[in-house]
This record gives sequence, C-alpha cells and structure tokens, in this order.
Amino acid sequence: MLIKQMYDWIDLRLGAREIVKKQLTGYLLPARINEWYSLGSVLMVIFGLQVVTGMLLMVYYVPDPEKAFKSITFIMNEVPYGWLIRLCHAVGSNMMVAVLFLHMFSVLMMGSYKSPRELNWLTGFILFCLVQGISLTGYLAPWSQLSFWATTVATNSAAAIPVVGPYLVEFMRGGKLVGPPTLGRFFAIHVVVLPAVIAALVALHLFLLKRTGISRPPEGTKECRNPTPTGSYSYESHPGGVPFFPNYALQDLTSICIYIAAFLAVVFFAPNFLFTPDAFVPANAFLTPAHIKPEWYFLANYQTLKIFPSELLGLSVQVAAMTLLALLPFIDRSPERNPLKRPLFLTLAVGGILLWLGLTIWGHYS
Amino acid sequence: MANESRRKFLGACLAGATAVAVAGAGYPVLGYLAPRPGKVGADKLEFASGDIAAGEAKFFEYQGTSAVLVKTNAGALVALSAVCTHMGCIVQWEKDKQAFLCPCHAGHYSPDGAVTAGPPPKPLAKIPFSVAGGKITVG
Repeated sequence: MLIKQMYDWIDLRLGAREIVKKQLTGYLLPARINEWYSLGSVLMVIFGLQVVTGMLLMVYYVPDPEKAFKSITFIMNEVPYGWLIRLCHAVGSNMMVAVLFLHMFSVLMMGSYKSPRELNWLTGFILFCLVQGISLTGYLAPWSQLSFWATTVATNSAAAIPVVGPYLVEFMRGGKLVGPPTLGRFFAIHVVVLPAVIAALVALHLFLLKRTGISRPPEGTKECRNPTPTGSYSYESHPGGVPFFPNYALQDLTSICIYIAAFLAVVFFAPNFLFTPDAFVPANAFLTPAHIKPEWYFLANYQTLKIFPSELLGLSVQVAAMTLLALLPFIDRSPERNPLKRPLFLTLAVGGILLWLGLTIWGHYS
Repeated sequence: MANESRRKFLGACLAGATAVAVAGAGYPVLGYLAPRPGKVGADKLEFASGDIAAGEAKFFEYQGTSAVLVKTNAGALVALSAVCTHMGCIVQWEKDKQAFLCPCHAGHYSPDGAVTAGPPPKPLAKIPFSVAGGKITVG
C-alpha cells in the first residue's frame, strides 16, 4: 500500500507510468528474439561489477611503484575478503573481453550491423577497443614482473610505426622505459579517463539502439532482409512482438545468472587460471623473465608480430584487419542478413575466427 | 485464484532469493570496508627523562590516538590524551602561556588537562605513566 502511494506520488510528478509503458511494458521486441540479444545486458552488468570492485580496490591500492605490489599483497592476504574483490576485478576484466567477443560474434552472424545500424556497430567496435585499452592499463597496476614486462612489450610494439613510433612509445611510458611515470599515467587512464569514456559510449550505443529499433533475428533459411530504406528516418517497430518487461527482462536475468555462475566458478575454483608465476613476483626493471606473454586476447596480435619478418609489416596487417572490421557495414552493403544466404561472408568470418584462434593457440605455445 | 497465489508465492521466492544474494554480496563488502580488528599502536611507550625539558610538551601516538606528555615549569609530569573533548581536534601546547589550546573552537585547558575556558565539556583524559631509572613509561 505504501509502495503504491509512493509510486502514485512519483507518477503525479514525473509521469512514471507513461515512462514504464513506453520504455518497458510497451517496448516491443521482435517476436522471435533469441538469447544472443541479452549479451548487451550481461556486458552492462559486468561493467557495473568492474566499476564497483575497482572502487573497492582503490580503498587499499597505492599507485606508487614502491608500494603497489605490497598493497596488492596486503589486499589479497590481509584485508577481509580482499582476495574476493581483487579476483572478481581481475577475472571480470577477462570475462568482459570474452563476452564482448560473443556479442560481436552474434551481431556479425545475424547481420545486425547492416544499414541502418552502422553507427551501432561503430560505437560497439570503439567500445571493444576501449575495453582492451582499459584491460591493458589495469594490467600494470599490480606492478608485478608479469605486469611490468607485459606492459614493456605491449608499449614497445608502437615503436614499429615509422617516424613517430619511438616518440609515441616514450610518450605512452612517460619516459624511455616503463617506470613510475608509466604507472601514474596508466592508473589515471584506467580509473578515470577510460571508465568515463566507456560509460558515455555505452549510453550512446543504447541511444542508437533505441532510435533505430532492435533488429529482427534472421529466421531459419528464409530470406531475411532489413526493411527497404525509405530515404528518411524510420524506427523499426515490432507490432505484436514481446514486451521488454517482463518477458525479455526475464531472459536478460537468466543470461546474467548464467554468466554470474560461470564467473564465480572461475573466481572460486580456478582463481590462478589467469595468473602465471611472474604475477606473484614484484617488478624488477633489471630482470626480464623468460617467455613473457601478453593476456590471452592479445596473443594473436603478439604472434602476428612474431611471424612477420618486419615489425612494421606485422603491425600494418593488424591495423588493416581492424580497419576492415570497423568499416564492415560500409563494405558489406547487401541487405540480406541470413548467414546461410551469405556464403562469402560466412566463409570469411569462419576463416577469420579460425585464424584468430590458431594464432592465439600458437602464441600461447610458442 | 490459484494462479494469483502461485504468482505471489513465486514473487516471494524471488524476493527472498534476491535478499539472500544481496546479503551474500554485501557481507564480504562490509567485511572489506570495516576497520581492521586488533589493537592499533603501542600499549606502552618509553621515553628518556631527558627527552622532555621543563615547560615543554611532547606529542606522540598512543593506542591508535594522539597523546601528549607535559613537563611543567615546576617540573611536574602529566600524560594526557591530546584529543579535545569538544569536537575531537588535537590540542596545541602554548609554551608561553603554559596551557593547551584547541585551535578548532578555542577550548582552553590547564597543563593538567582541566578545562579553563571555551566549549569543551570535559577535561582531557589522563593517561597512566611511571618514572623509574631515568625513564618515563607511558601506559
């Protein structure tokens, strides 16, 4: 009764019932919408968890080369549940990249990037790059041998860029080598700059999603094309579709619960899965450990650099591949969205994924 | 009717499960943020008698808070909490006036911690100490 009175009070002032009807119960999604569409919600939950655990870590973490490793050790061993907060943050960052891959995979396969959703794809692609950036900058924070030397290798790859490369490396590091200035700037980028930019881009991504309307999933082997462009803005509505709330919200919740189960399984049962022994040794600028490797999602890039005789060539190939992916909606302009009706795309996409997987495995064992 | 009661039952189950999940996530967070258990700072501190001259005060950390040792011009020793009883600021020793002043709201204390002026409701708490063999032991 009290809740209803409070709701009435808010409704009188803000028109809450109208918002709920328009954005939740009356917001209709395609009738054949599937589970893949819930990955965006899962990603928002992951980002929220990363922000919360990151804030909690900042209570005890000290971004100073003399104290960073000790503060992480203190969090892991002394602070009650510090290990849980830290592992949630470290595992969560990897899971976020993994779920982003799945989200992109579903968008690619269902052709949801196609016109008129080019901007949705572009903002999503930029978010993908920023998430990799936030993972890279956070990787240095523990100031362990692993983080120090992985950052050295990662920042050094920019040196292959002609003319400005060496200056760019020095600029990123704040000096000739990775050192205290690197930690300062990486920490600022990791905790302030990138979270703010990512949050803003997520908001833009959602705005674009709401303005264009959700795409219909391609069904079976039937022809599935986007509506023919009319030459003016039009919202893709789904009359007779399923309401977002409660119907699809329940699917979102189910996917979130499945994700949380998988996430906590890693945190509780395989916490060291992502750490190599070098992650438990404080950084030593005079002792490079043998076989230093980047995070799993950078292994393909790492191996590509190793394959090509010239670093510049290796870097150029990667830049070309990323540019192709970013501009995909402008290259692939056919309105057909069913993957089985797009043999060239399907061959290239499966080939690209297999190549990426092969390079990742090769990079791991090389 | 049966549907209605089933919906209520499922709603109650969902609310209960959510409450358990929130408590499960909240407990470690509270534990993480709570002050660390155990004693902070030393229980006993030793100073050489020569460390403090007549008319001077020596501030130090004692059991996780601030304390002060005063040797009056007459040579009497006093150990006090340096935390003002008004709003918790740290008092300052005014050597020329041989008195304590709390700079936050102008609370005045005598060298033995008694309130002489201003808003403090109570005198500064006394800390036990002993003097033996040229050493002052606080605590």
